[in-house]
Amino acid sequence: MKTVPSERLDQIPDVGGPAQPLLTVRDLTRHFALKGGLPTPFGKPRGVIRAVDGISFDLRKGETLGIVGESGCGKSTTSRLIMSLMQPTGGEILFDGQPIGHGGLTLKEYRRQVQMVFQDSYASLNPRLTIAESIAFAPQVHGMARRGAVTRARELLAAVGLEPGQFGGRYPHELSGGQRQRVNIARALALRPRLIILDEPVSALDKSVEAQVLNLLLDLKEDFGLTYLFISHDLGVVHHVSDRVLVMYLGQVAEIGPVERIYADAAHPYTAALLDSRPSMDPARRRTEPPLTGDSPNPINPPSGCRFHTRCQLAEPVCSRDVPPLAPAGPDHQAACLMVLSGSGHTQAPALAA
Amino acid sequence: MKDTEKLVEARDLTVRFVTRDATIQAVNGVSFDLAPRETLCILGESGSGKSVTLRALMRLNPLKRTVVEGRLRVGGHDLIAAKERTLSDIRGSVVSMIFQEPMTALDPVFTIGRQIRETILRHEAVSRAEANRRALELLELVQIPSARRRLDAYPHEMSGGLRQRAMIAIALSCRPKLLLADEPTTALDATVQIQILLLIKRLQSELGMGVIFVTHDLGVAGEVADRVAVMYAGRFVEEGPVGAMMRAPLHPYTRGLLGATVHDQPRGQRLTTIMGAPPDLGRLPPGCAFAPRCPSVRAGCLVDVPALRGEEPTHQARCILVPGVPELERAA
Repeated sequence: MKTVPSERLDQIPDVGGPAQPLLTVRDLTRHFALKGGLPTPFGKPRGVIRAVDGISFDLRKGETLGIVGESGCGKSTTSRLIMSLMQPTGGEILFDGQPIGHGGLTLKEYRRQVQMVFQDSYASLNPRLTIAESIAFAPQVHGMARRGAVTRARELLAAVGLEPGQFGGRYPHELSGGQRQRVNIARALALRPRLIILDEPVSALDKSVEAQVLNLLLDLKEDFGLTYLFISHDLGVVHHVSDRVLVMYLGQVAEIGPVERIYADAAHPYTAALLDSRPSMDPARRRTEPPLTGDSPNPINPPSGCRFHTRCQLAEPVCSRDVPPLAPAGPDHQAACLMVLSGSGHTQAPALAA
Repeated sequence: MKDTEKLVEARDLTVRFVTRDATIQAVNGVSFDLAPRETLCILGESGSGKSVTLRALMRLNPLKRTVVEGRLRVGGHDLIAAKERTLSDIRGSVVSMIFQEPMTALDPVFTIGRQIRETILRHEAVSRAEANRRALELLELVQIPSARRRLDAYPHEMSGGLRQRAMIAIALSCRPKLLLADEPTTALDATVQIQILLLIKRLQSELGMGVIFVTHDLGVAGEVADRVAVMYAGRFVEEGPVGAMMRAPLHPYTRGLLGATVHDQPRGQRLTTIMGAPPDLGRLPPGCAFAPRCPSVRAGCLVDVPALRGEEPTHQARCILVPGVPELERAA
């Protein structure tokens, strides 16, 4: 399908209908070759970091999918792969049923529909452009006249709660962190995208500002008909904004399901430990033992079998041998744990249906 | 509390940064006491003066440009009058500090073992062998696995959680009476954060230290604090026991912070926010510094800085709307 950039640059209409996932990710893999060190004899590979190691999921139209996990679990690499900021080692990504490149959507057409907001609000703005120019930049690249692009930039500034007359002519260093993040959100909206990837958008903000930006994101989702992929290490924030949650561990999907189910009754022991690690604001409910000990293992040589078995309190010998596939754990809910898979050999696994 | 029992006594502590262009009033009259073995959490947003207050307790603010006034005694030492040489003796042995980012706080060119040994040898007359033995003991105390091997590790060879443990080991190497912690878990994952928080709690009770925690995270305060002080524009605007503070905050700013923090609100419901942004510390308003953002502001707020008041002497806030007697009248 070829889209001609119109002067108005409206949101590109839906292709596959509501049942077609907006984004389909299949076996997405990204390995980084280790550099440096001495070459090993006998042609042995020097080792790779398995940052993202075969993840698959669907992103449905109009939903917010939260991705959580510890640092190094591959959540940011996943977002960059989806944004096409780096090339995957393997796997494929379909947008509204269409492949990207090779006869499908061109990268330019794809990027018009998928935009991203990063954690570092300052580093992601050009310091030499005023914020109105930054927002008007992409529409001009996509063929919009300068006048129209500037008008749109001013409308978007108003939409994210910044007075266009007061802020439009300012440079990024003249704004606070919260204001800069609003500018980044306005810029992401400038091409009228259908999907916005939010990579830790509020992690660098103070609590009172974080709440303002989260409210803004919820409003804009309605007003602009958006789908969000929301990446964060803050489980409270993910609970607040997401419809479904995807839990990652060492480059793989540990669990995916509706947010209420995951937070109320996690099927994977890693999810349960992660949720249990949140500090409680109630001093009467203090813990004495941490739910998990140690840091997450190195993704260079991930543990055999289930990658979580080295830290799992329910691990059995079978867990270090068999790799658990994603198995159904309830309605619309899957977990990669041998305790969920019937007949897996784990003593707590459900019995095989007769 | 008798004066002799106090570990920290701060009265009208002010810290100003003076440059040619402007004077920044970072801390504007902070008074508090800390008992031995007590944990105080200073809660505030960036620019509230919480880290400056903490650094003042060790006199770590830049010497030339900082004016520190008021009364400040830590473990019986007068920190305002102390000379630089005396301060060096006090730092590490009476009061020590752990920082947010262990990678920048640790020296990248020396091994962990050497950095612990250096601290011990600076403060105590012991042999190198004895210092080495103590370093190993400390790494075991902070639960670093294979401690003997880690003595020879450089900071970059360790994970974030292990580095933070190593920094705690250095801070504790001379058995300080007071441990200052400046957002020690902000850079860590939730799973590691809870491990470090519980470790600090355990070490505190084993070693009998007082701890002052600085954080922006209400959850961290709920997990470790005995008392919480909420800081805004360089003042304690509310101070009280952690339970009362979380259940029934007095100051509109504290209420705003609790409302703005994502915890158990129903999903999809809008968060209550605090409008506007914190004030410029170079140009503070004459009255309550929170008045421009306060939903229940009235004319009286703009005249004078409100005194601490409250029905309980242990739970007070700087707001004219709080019922109860101002602290000054109670004392009179």
